Amino acid sequence: MSLLDVRRLRAGYGPVNVLHDIDLSVDDGQIVVVLGANGAGKTTTMRAISGIIPCSGEVTFDGRSITTSSADAIVRAGIAQVPQGRGTFPELSVIDNLRIGAYTRRDGGTSDDVERWFQTFPRLAERSDQRAGSLSGGEQQMLAIARALMSRPKLLLCDEPSLGLAPIIVQEMFHIIDSLSKEQGIAVLLVEQNANLAMDIAQRVYLLETGRIVASGDAATISADDSIRKAYLGY
Amino acid sequence: MDRFFEALFLGLSAGATYSLVALALVVVYRGTGHLNFAQGEMGTLSAFMVWWFNDKGVPLLLAVLFGMAFGFLLGAATEVAIVRPLARRSLLAVFVATITLFLGINAYTSGVWGAPPDELMDSLFPNDPDDFVRVFGTIWRYKDIGTMAVTLIITGLLFLLFQKTRFGLAMRGVASNTDSARLVGIPTGRILAGSWAIAAALGALAAVLVAGNQGQVTPTLMVTVLTYATAAAVLGGLDSPGGAVIAGLLIGVGEAEAAEFAPGWIGQDMKLGVALVAIFVVLLFRPSGLFGTAKVERV
Repeated sequence: MSLLDVRRLRAGYGPVNVLHDIDLSVDDGQIVVVLGANGAGKTTTMRAISGIIPCSGEVTFDGRSITTSSADAIVRAGIAQVPQGRGTFPELSVIDNLRIGAYTRRDGGTSDDVERWFQTFPRLAERSDQRAGSLSGGEQQMLAIARALMSRPKLLLCDEPSLGLAPIIVQEMFHIIDSLSKEQGIAVLLVEQNANLAMDIAQRVYLLETGRIVASGDAATISADDSIRKAYLGY
Repeated sequence: MDRFFEALFLGLSAGATYSLVALALVVVYRGTGHLNFAQGEMGTLSAFMVWWFNDKGVPLLLAVLFGMAFGFLLGAATEVAIVRPLARRSLLAVFVATITLFLGINAYTSGVWGAPPDELMDSLFPNDPDDFVRVFGTIWRYKDIGTMAVTLIITGLLFLLFQKTRFGLAMRGVASNTDSARLVGIPTGRILAGSWAIAAALGALAAVLVAGNQGQVTPTLMVTVLTYATAAAVLGGLDSPGGAVIAGLLIGVGEAEAAEFAPGWIGQDMKLGVALVAIFVVLLFRPSGLFGTAKVERV
């Protein structure tokens, strides 16, 4: 039984349908990567799973259907998304960005978790009272990830975390995501254009092309397949 | 010098009501990015409700609470039924809708309560001829002191709401980035309706204070006040509650002093112009207002 199971997912904007019967699944603690070019439907997939845009088909999470659930119910069920382009709250301080990440929690453990992520990301601790909008791109991406983790999710959705970051920061970012998944047992669904690095940390890979899954399999199998590599990964 | 203090005090008292309405405008603007031109008229309608309850025998203070509750519901209903569906289409549509609401409520209150008005309302504060203290030789009436005190208390409460509560954090989050607010699980609809509700309750309180000052509720009760309050909100920086209060007081004092010391060529009729010229000059040099935050963004 997968943690996240997506069947025949269709979604789009107004009359325009972007996704055509997407099937994918993520197991507990697994890192799954969806690769695709601009316009393939990566962000739409993420937004549909998070309940930001309406979708049809069947999305099951943790044994429950969340296809028609509201965005806040989906967060409470245990899915957190790091949206494309950071998605921080630029006018709020760094620490308020973390606090707001725990909005759905009522257990009073917020400040302990803030402390914990400040230890993981010391640069955020240094800038605790600074407005998030004044951070560098890499710092904002770290803040966005830490913010998403504040809700204690079982599944983390990351929408192109490498976008607009320097290669060395991208490496650091993937390393952080990898160790988070290993240490905390958090499952990760990552959509990316940056195929090489993403495949290094993934267990399973899907190739998305104009709203359809055209290939899927183990990360090792996909990266070893010459024809897929040439056609979709460009090297 | 007496004349200066006299005008200063009257200016602060009038300014306090501008500040309250400016605060309401700021709460809506911060929460939803709209300027509610019906803010004043929604207050007027609530003040008529207060008068109605009071007229039916409900004690004034209790009637004010009822009026604020009425405003609260009116604000939430406006957001849900009018603003939300229109905002999906365009900001301009909301702008036009709030002006329509302004005219609609104004026509309604004029039609129902009409002229000559007999909707008398007492001040919330002791207002007999000898209810005053002398400060620097000038007369400070209790009702004016009360108006200022209410404004300061409300400002403090709003500050606590914004900075110290979960609801306030959610409001700031929705204002800053609505998409991300939904992704962290904030029920954005409830927050937006809540912002409009709180603002309209504030507007109701302000209208009651203005009505108490002039002794009656009239359909045009808040028209001038809204003009000053809009100016105050813009001058203070549309997203700054503290700025709205300070700017409201500044405008109140500015117009009172100008009318007092240049009665010949400014006087009561031109005093609004003084405030507007000052605002124009400030905004030339600080486009985000005296205390507003300039948008910072890195990509």
